[in-house]
Amino acid sequence: MTDPVLRDRRALGGPGVLLVVVYGVLALAATGRSVLQISEYFDRAPLAYVLSALAAVVYLLATWCLARGGRWVRVGIVACAVELAGVLLVGLASYLDPSAFPDKTVWSHFGQGYGFVPLVLPVLGLLWFRRVERGARADAAVHEQDVAPTSD
Amino acid sequence: MIAALTYVVVGLSVVLCGAAVVYAVRDRLIDDLLLGIAGLLELALLVVLVGGLVGSGHVTDSAERATFIAYLVSLPVIPPGTAFLAIKEKSRWAMGSIAVGAFAVGVMSARLAQIWMSYD
Repeated sequence: MTDPVLRDRRALGGPGVLLVVVYGVLALAATGRSVLQISEYFDRAPLAYVLSALAAVVYLLATWCLARGGRWVRVGIVACAVELAGVLLVGLASYLDPSAFPDKTVWSHFGQGYGFVPLVLPVLGLLWFRRVERGARADAAVHEQDVAPTSD
Repeated sequence: MIAALTYVVVGLSVVLCGAAVVYAVRDRLIDDLLLGIAGLLELALLVVLVGGLVGSGHVTDSAERATFIAYLVSLPVIPPGTAFLAIKEKSRWAMGSIAVGAFAVGVMSARLAQIWMSYD
């Protein structure tokens, strides 16, 4: 928090706030559904429900990273990458073996049950995090120039 | 009863979403009027939550009931969450937070009513 470079590398602010909201809503929906699926009728499709719980956790993590920024940006990039891989792999698997995915989950059928938002969101997240990272690097360069004469 | 209440919720969320768009266009920050509409929406959502939980046996299929309850519990979190973000964010994008949140509330409430009425 005391490092000005880290402090300035905020993800929240400007358009980032929209991503926080959309991620937050998806995280909520995925978590709520997942908790009930696992506690009420887990035996019906264990694989699908475990994957949907994993998705929920990753969405919560990504929401946190977007809102906090700073050192969480790197974690957020990993979270978004996992989401993108998840929605693509599970999306494909749910078409190849529909019986393993009887209920709509966040990632099955490429997120169709959620208006394909889960497919688009990680791409937007990654683009946003990249922008934040670039901004931070530019700030760091300026910061280094500023302190260069006095340091060392 | 639940269906009628969810219509009220959908109506309020449309009003809130529209108001937030107007605020964004005029580049205004969140004020008492907008917070008041969000508060009304929140109140309606809490009433739906209690009514829905009490009557959740109405939805007999366990998978549909799970979705129903998950939406019921998730919905009241959205207006305070987006309002909090909107108060912290001092730019036009703050209204985007309210608008997107209100839109999500509208869609999720419509889905709630749809599930409920399929068991009437």
